[in-house]
Amino acid sequence: MVQKTGAREVVRINVELKCDHRCENCERFFDCRDERKWKVYGRRRMAQAIKKMANIKHKITISGGKGGVGKSTVTVNLATALAMMGRKVAILDQDFDGSTIPRMLGIQGIKHLKYGPNGMIPANDALGLGMKVISMTLVYPDEVITMFHEMRRGTTEEFLANVDYGERDYLIVDLPPGTSSDACNLLQYIPDLDGTVTVTVPPVVSQLAARRATILSAKAGSPVLGIIENMSGYICGNCHQEFDLMKRGGGEALAEELGVPFLGRLPLHPEVAGACDEGVPFVYKYPDNPVSQTMIRIAKQLEEIVSKEK
Amino acid sequence: MTQEVEVRQLNVTEGCNGKCEDCERYFECDLPLKETFQKKGILSLIRKNLEGVKYKITVLGGKGGVGKSMLSVNLAAALTKRGRKVAILDQVYDCPAIPLMLGVPEGATLQIGEHGFIPYQSKWNIKVISTGLILDPDEVIIWFHDMKRNATEELLASVDYSDVDYLICDIPTGTSSETVNILKYLPDISGALVTTVPSGVSQNVARKCLYILSKAGVPIIGVVENMSDTKCPNCGTPVSIISSGAGEGMSVEEGVPFLGKVPLSRIVSETLDDGEPFVIKYPDSEEAKVLEHVTDAVIKQCEQAS
Repeated sequence: MVQKTGAREVVRINVELKCDHRCENCERFFDCRDERKWKVYGRRRMAQAIKKMANIKHKITISGGKGGVGKSTVTVNLATALAMMGRKVAILDQDFDGSTIPRMLGIQGIKHLKYGPNGMIPANDALGLGMKVISMTLVYPDEVITMFHEMRRGTTEEFLANVDYGERDYLIVDLPPGTSSDACNLLQYIPDLDGTVTVTVPPVVSQLAARRATILSAKAGSPVLGIIENMSGYICGNCHQEFDLMKRGGGEALAEELGVPFLGRLPLHPEVAGACDEGVPFVYKYPDNPVSQTMIRIAKQLEEIVSKEK
Repeated sequence: MTQEVEVRQLNVTEGCNGKCEDCERYFECDLPLKETFQKKGILSLIRKNLEGVKYKITVLGGKGGVGKSMLSVNLAAALTKRGRKVAILDQVYDCPAIPLMLGVPEGATLQIGEHGFIPYQSKWNIKVISTGLILDPDEVIIWFHDMKRNATEELLASVDYSDVDYLICDIPTGTSSETVNILKYLPDISGALVTTVPSGVSQNVARKCLYILSKAGVPIIGVVENMSDTKCPNCGTPVSIISSGAGEGMSVEEGVPFLGKVPLSRIVSETLDDGEPFVIKYPDSEEAKVLEHVTDAVIKQCEQAS
């Protein structure tokens, strides 16, 4: 387990690497050099997923590397901003441990997923914006269940291969944090990804995580469309002065280092957190708030970016 | 006419393959098969290896980015200030932050000695064991589940833990296999701390942590609410950046002690980036006082109970 190579001890972890040719379940998909793996897109659930998602024009994943940076908040508000622009949007919530999307949309415990002739029918949003939502919490809203590994993989497969997405302009996918196999499974499963938006927060440790997440996306062949620095500064509700709680600028520096667009900074604001807890996306409830204005501008910028790619 | 049917459950297989070490349902399971696992080699190896450790504390968060690592690092520093010998086990695989928060230079690695891997000694005599000391900073590997479990086994069975009063285990985010695996493998945990943030949407995950801990029979020392209320430096208006109080509310509901609120402040974020715990750099700050109170509770649970 420990090998000495030259001046440094190199420690590697001892694992078995068996291949049972079930590529759709394999965590080593991106590192695998076997050419046969690409055949998986023609088979079983992967083929089903392609069919079900055939009428979705653009698919964007929201990643962060580190947890708690605001991926779900950005997912919900980006989707809402696009919907407010008249686009047909679907949200896929892939967070199995700390799912907050249905609560932020005000549909937790109120709407449920249904099965119809063409597969699972997503829930609609509560604001009449025509958004479609898929999330674990729409099946098990109250139970405090622990999502086990097998269940997560099975659920991911269901949500991709068995949902009637219909015609959509955008599918926004909230990825789980980290570089674990759950995030990877997803990237490999979704066919034709336009790219990923990375959310980060000012502290250095977040940039380290975001950089890793970017490298992972690159492994999956999914380009980084841009970086958003969240929790960047705070605007006082009383004196309206902005101050920094964390040293600003890490997100911008990272974007420059990676050569990707810096989409913007989202400051903290009491209205934002309040809206999240109340179950109404802040871009909808407070569209004139500076945070909402930035979000709407980012939505427009992303639309330009993805339209150019295709 | 085809009717629409509400989705009540998702179709996934839940078989038992008899491999307890891989199983995430470990604490929910009542099968006698578990006893065979408990007598197995690796668990008794780990138990033997951890004999030199007086008290083991686990720090959980469930939700990401709530400040577990910040709490682990400052708790370790506070205990060191009171003369205890402390080691931190950083089990966060995807983004190990603890070495950074303790000013460990980039590129530092673990060495191997007679009795196993030697923990890295930080500036304040806090021993650090972390995946960050094994991987290159730019190395991005996709962590498979069996890799994570193997890493846990190695870090528990093959590290030299001799002469440690407090072993603080920073447990990765999530409430599934990572958490369950570690709780399964660590014998006789003295107590657990759960971190949360004030927003309402985050409380469910903290609740799940409490649930898993009680299933695993781990005593809960209390809940700490991070990123909490602070003041505007310009006008002094109290500021609740992330809507107030839900963490305290949740611990009252669940009947567990609430240990305090750490404000969302520059002191916290800067000292983490600079690699010096704020209990050491700013010992008179409000933030440090909250941590000292948490440390009081930890010491009370461990040293006065026994």
